[in-house]
Amino acid sequence: MKGSIKDLLQISGVHGYIIAQGKSMQVKLPSKHTFSGAKDRLWLLYKDLTEGHHRPGNTLEILLDDMLLTVFLAESTMLLVMSSLRVNQALLRMTGKLIIANMNKEKK
Amino acid sequence: MRQDISGELDNTRCPEIIKIISLGKRSGRLYLTNGSETGNIYFSDGEVIHAQCGALNGVKAIYELAVWTSGEYRFFVDEPSDLQTINMRVDDILSETTTHLRQMDKITSLIPSSAAVYAFESEIKDKEIQLKSIQWKVLASVDGKRSIADIAQIVGFGVSDTMKIFYTLLKMGVLRDAALQDTRIDRRLIELPETAFINSLKHALTQSIGPVAPFIIAETAEELSIDLLSDSTDQKANLIETLSNKIPEEKMSLKFLDAMTDWLKSEV
Repeated sequence: MKGSIKDLLQISGVHGYIIAQGKSMQVKLPSKHTFSGAKDRLWLLYKDLTEGHHRPGNTLEILLDDMLLTVFLAESTMLLVMSSLRVNQALLRMTGKLIIANMNKEKK
Repeated sequence: MRQDISGELDNTRCPEIIKIISLGKRSGRLYLTNGSETGNIYFSDGEVIHAQCGALNGVKAIYELAVWTSGEYRFFVDEPSDLQTINMRVDDILSETTTHLRQMDKITSLIPSSAAVYAFESEIKDKEIQLKSIQWKVLASVDGKRSIADIAQIVGFGVSDTMKIFYTLLKMGVLRDAALQDTRIDRRLIELPETAFINSLKHALTQSIGPVAPFIIAETAEELSIDLLSDSTDQKANLIETLSNKIPEEKMSLKFLDAMTDWLKSEV
């Protein structure tokens, strides 16, 4: 199955991504990005989304003033993509779904 | 090969014959035919030990044989079976067969016979329809030409089980009598443009959800107010993603996304 991080970064408007899995978190963002130093807050978000009560669906979109956070969840894995508001959202969701499915498959 | 009971199924149906053989504590093989199909029920001291009808074995084969209302039967004494697929008392078998026959009476009030042919209903009333995998298996074989009996053979189910599934699908409103004209279908098919993108979309979606794919594409484009001839990547991505969400099985949905992502990547 295709769908790699490389594909994700090729989408126009994508700033970067965060992958959290269990106790590890990988942050790939430009150094001056608003979220590049916000690991603690991202941990809280991860814990809230993965440890909280079961919610329907596995894709979340958080709309900020100048940014879109798209979160893909699969069990304890979270892929969070930061992008501009003008990104092709459907393409971003499609690619994200494939990536998270791949990651989950590899984990198993 | 000694034969001592025989007759027409028009006068005596399978459950009654089973009862007679069981009361006489007979051993042997009851052979039944309805003209096109045959079946056998094996007895040992009046107990039913094995039954076979087409690809079906066990009690399911008896349910199938019980609905035959024409044809003939013959009982061959002392023809034992090496197989034992039934481990139920005759009374229990007959009681379950009666329940099954009652269900079949309800089904035949809607479906006249296994020769009936159905096609997809293009205008579905309910917003969301959930299908079980066996229902999907049957639905995927519907093409407006095959009869229920043909489809039963393709999917490997018994005719009466397949009729039951058709009954549910008809009640859901996803099928209609193929003899009834539905001009909307033809119109929609013609309206799908023959572009490389649409052809690829049709191909990938058909692989994931079956022959209903062109209707789903037309319906989704209408819902989203998408022009299928548009070059907009946003619109294409939106259409693909919405279609992928309509595929009930996650694995198939991802397969579809996987196939269509290439199209979008080449345009972004």
